[in-house]
Amino acid sequence: MKQRRSPLSMRIAALLALAFILTACGSPAATVPTPASAQPEASGSSPTVAAAPTRVFKPVWYAPAPHPYFEEVRKGVAAFEADTGIKVEQQIGPDWTQGSQNQRMEALAAQGFNAFAVYPADASGANGLYEELTAAGAHIINFGTSTAQPTTASFAVATDVKAAAMRATEELIKAMGGKGNIINVLEVLEDPNTALRKQGIEEVVARYPDVTIIQEVAGMTSVETAVQKISDALSANIDRVDGIIATGYTPSVAIAQVLTEYRSRGGQRQIHAVGIDTDEAVMKAIADGVMDGTIVQNPFGHGYLSLLLLKYLSEGYKPKADAYFVNAGFIFVTKENLDTYQQEILKVTEQIKSEMLDKYLER
Amino acid sequence: MTNSRADSDMQRRGALNGVSTRMLNIFRRSDASVVLAVVILFALFSLSNPSFLTPFNLFNISRTAALFVFIALGQAIVIVAGGMNLSLGAIGGLTVVVAGWCMDTMGWSPWISVSLALLTGVLCGMFNGSIIVKSGLNSFVVTLASLFIFTGLIQGISQGFPYSNIPREFTVLGRGDFMGMPYLLLLALIVLAIMGYVFKFRVVGRCLLATGGNLEAARLSGIRTDHMIFLSHTLSGLFAATAGLLWVSRMGSAQPSTGSDWLIISFAVAIIGGTALNGGAFSATGILASALLLTLIRNGLIMLNVNVYFEQTFLGIIVLLAVSIESIRLALSNRALRPSPPAS
Repeated sequence: MKQRRSPLSMRIAALLALAFILTACGSPAATVPTPASAQPEASGSSPTVAAAPTRVFKPVWYAPAPHPYFEEVRKGVAAFEADTGIKVEQQIGPDWTQGSQNQRMEALAAQGFNAFAVYPADASGANGLYEELTAAGAHIINFGTSTAQPTTASFAVATDVKAAAMRATEELIKAMGGKGNIINVLEVLEDPNTALRKQGIEEVVARYPDVTIIQEVAGMTSVETAVQKISDALSANIDRVDGIIATGYTPSVAIAQVLTEYRSRGGQRQIHAVGIDTDEAVMKAIADGVMDGTIVQNPFGHGYLSLLLLKYLSEGYKPKADAYFVNAGFIFVTKENLDTYQQEILKVTEQIKSEMLDKYLER
Repeated sequence: MTNSRADSDMQRRGALNGVSTRMLNIFRRSDASVVLAVVILFALFSLSNPSFLTPFNLFNISRTAALFVFIALGQAIVIVAGGMNLSLGAIGGLTVVVAGWCMDTMGWSPWISVSLALLTGVLCGMFNGSIIVKSGLNSFVVTLASLFIFTGLIQGISQGFPYSNIPREFTVLGRGDFMGMPYLLLLALIVLAIMGYVFKFRVVGRCLLATGGNLEAARLSGIRTDHMIFLSHTLSGLFAATAGLLWVSRMGSAQPSTGSDWLIISFAVAIIGGTALNGGAFSATGILASALLLTLIRNGLIMLNVNVYFEQTFLGIIVLLAVSIESIRLALSNRALRPSPPAS
């Protein structure tokens, strides 16, 4: 059977067209910041000696992969740009691997960027990259989470995850009337924050003799998996569960969906639930009375405060001794403050801004 | 009188022999071991936790298994024809995003949105199929590249945001039931029955199997193997899109992360279910049993409240034990087929 083949010229033309499309899709050259060392030299200077790079503040905000959380953080970055008039290079990587992050941040450093607000893809792996960048004179601040200690990052602007988990547990137990059985839904076990959250929850539960954690579920990389696992855990304990707690975004969304469905299918048992973050499904579940509340972090502050710290560092300020972790705060949102919580969390950012020079920095 | 007793004894013995032969024939089927594993696990979990047999749990298990069936069909249809589809999850994810964008952002009706989403899946499959056929490149390489393309499109369109405003009527299929049996399971059973019929009795099914079994022989037999490969990828896209839409229907929102963990599921369910990795074999019963097997194991581990840090280890061990029944089946089957030694 004779196969029809397209001529070679057609194939080459197709490849050229693809290359053209890819080139056209790339960022226009004009928007790529020119490295200081590549600036045209002033007339009269020696052409063989490179001019010393001018120390200008060239900040980057970097997130490993698209995620709703980062879009919230970017609002803080945009506000920083508006307040200071400083352009921030905003980059979102393709995946959650440290390898991708290294490649892209090294490329940015090669372009002359010297201040990085970064969400580390890997809490330990990022430190190697940071060491190289800080050795080259860059300042680095972790936002959203911290890297493992010791680190060359100057600060971490993030939620105190253990404190947030403890507050969430207290609120859940209060909703349960101080007694009952809890399912603890952890998110990703590889995340060091998960261990801190677990610890926080267990410490609070230990204070209440009539409260028991009857089951833990974990390993939820997607909402699909989380929905399956939470449904399974609920099925296993349907006759004795009184509360569910989630300290990660993915399981919180899944809890909202599973409990909404449980109610709509005529489920009679009163199951209290507390989650984290402000996904629409969670907020709707709170408004509908399916969930009791959620911990709202301060992503706006994570963006704004980390860039403000970078700006101060570029002006010659140094971190105070032992001043590494900047608690960006959190609030607990219930049906009562569902409409006002955004103003409340903005106040937290303003408070931290006002005390930043005294509390965290020195000349 | 004596004769009639002897006759009845012979008849009884004959009937028993018939039953045992039929049982043996059933056990000789390639999907028998996975069905047996499901039965054993079902019994074990039922005995170990009374909550296992609650309608709520059985409803959830059957829904998840039904979704696994569609994911596995998307992979199996390509494996059968001698290829593989690494971009299956990304096609599902892109479908979900397109459906979510149509319903939430654009406010279009579910009918239009579903049609466009299914079309997206089919086009993605056709894209894979046409490149594989036209370029002669391996399906592994092509679908690996398209995995990145589709993942980029998912992230670019959604920017990571879920689409939450999904019309309530769209969730009926994913959440509703007919006399206690989820619609999802009914749909999966119907589709499996059709697939089983097509592969057993229709020319196109036999041509797909022949293409996967021996490409050159199939080509020399007059089968248009390029068409079969193209068709398998197109159907793979369609199944991925269907699975994605059913997930949206079940969850009531369109999550861009949908499909990110389908790759392992798709291969595991298809292969454990009797789809030969080197093509040419398909079992609808096996895929259903295999989907149930994986769902049961995951559900059972939570029912048994195993330590979350070792959950993956337990999962692996149980899967290994379950599939090792296959080696027992093969051994028994071979012993039964071995010719008896000649009488001295």
